[in-house]
Amino acid sequence: MSSVAAPGPILKENLWTNNPIFMQVLGICSALAVTNLLANTMIMTLAVVGVMGMTNLTVALIKSLIPRKVRMMVQTLIIASYVIVVDIILRAYVPDISRELGPYVGLIITNCIIMGRAEAFAQSNPPLISMWDGVTSAFGYMGVLLSIALIRELLGFGSLFGYQIMPEAFEPWIIMVMPPSAFFVLGIIIWIGKAIMEREGAPA
Amino acid sequence: MNKQSFGYTVIFTALISFAFVFLLAMANELTVDRIEFNNEVRLQRSILNAMGVEFDSDEHAAELFEDVEQVEVEGLSLYSYERDDELLYAREYSGSGVWGTIRGHVGITPDGTRTLGLTVLEHQETPGLGGRIDEDWFQEQFRNKQLVDGRLEMTSRDGEGNFEEDSGEIDGITGATGTSDSFANIINAHLEELYNALGGESA
Repeated sequence: MSSVAAPGPILKENLWTNNPIFMQVLGICSALAVTNLLANTMIMTLAVVGVMGMTNLTVALIKSLIPRKVRMMVQTLIIASYVIVVDIILRAYVPDISRELGPYVGLIITNCIIMGRAEAFAQSNPPLISMWDGVTSAFGYMGVLLSIALIRELLGFGSLFGYQIMPEAFEPWIIMVMPPSAFFVLGIIIWIGKAIMEREGAPA
Repeated sequence: MNKQSFGYTVIFTALISFAFVFLLAMANELTVDRIEFNNEVRLQRSILNAMGVEFDSDEHAAELFEDVEQVEVEGLSLYSYERDDELLYAREYSGSGVWGTIRGHVGITPDGTRTLGLTVLEHQETPGLGGRIDEDWFQEQFRNKQLVDGRLEMTSRDGEGNFEEDSGEIDGITGATGTSDSFANIINAHLEELYNALGGESA
């Protein structure tokens, strides 16, 4: 995977063949916690896109200055700073959504995908392509989370982005609102994803 | 300079920490007023809502709120507002829900016998289940509700809300018995104190 450094292959790898959620199975905690309403998932994953892009860009820019011993600590510092900035922006401009996401925005800091990409890609590649890698990885994450949220909101609330879709008579599945349902939905998505990949003959 | 040396590492770490902390301090400084304003507006809206005072915008709410006073009645700290010679009270309540603190305001008539309304400002209940206490239908049940011995009964009816003003009952949330029970305990503890302080028993 380290052989590719062109935008096209990186996009495909991060969105599909090496998708952070269903291939690397990283970032699962947030996949469980913030996927019962599409609107919240959207804001949360957009925050991750911003944080990942900026983190990879910053790490790639200053990588030659970072002493090896404190590499991880510096990456954590960079990630944490951007996450707090995002949190402050959400609190100031979309207070309602910020309240609903509660502590989960802060927990983006612990999202292993971000540090994973900073360490695996940004440490050894130029700034712009690193930023692209961060953004596309986050899109891969976003795609899976939005699919989970789509299923959970539709079955758990009968709505999509808050608009009622299901008929009145539809009985919402309470399990879909609770975190455990994300396990089932995520498992099914991973299964489908891998099945398609195997059919394509890609090395799984 | 040797980038792996001890001195460089210490200096680099100190400088980069300073740079990022500075960035955070800037972001905080630029938004602190706005965040404070958001919280202020939310608090004002909540208190007015709990009293059943209507307003049509944040600005309007802020204007009305200028006439709200903080008063002390029998040791309870309350908000009071006078609407057409009619005195309205509101009190902040808080207590433990299933997952965390539930906080909000409840409005009450000066004789302590009827609630005027109720708001939920803050809670950590399960989204879609107990979390539904922040939905309008749940809170609207507390509009002009007659208290029975200073209390309201949490019942499990159809989970669609009980809007009969003299029933003394609130319909709990289906599938969220824990939250409904905790909420009843919190609100009744505060209502009973209000009822006693405002002399509801003699009325």
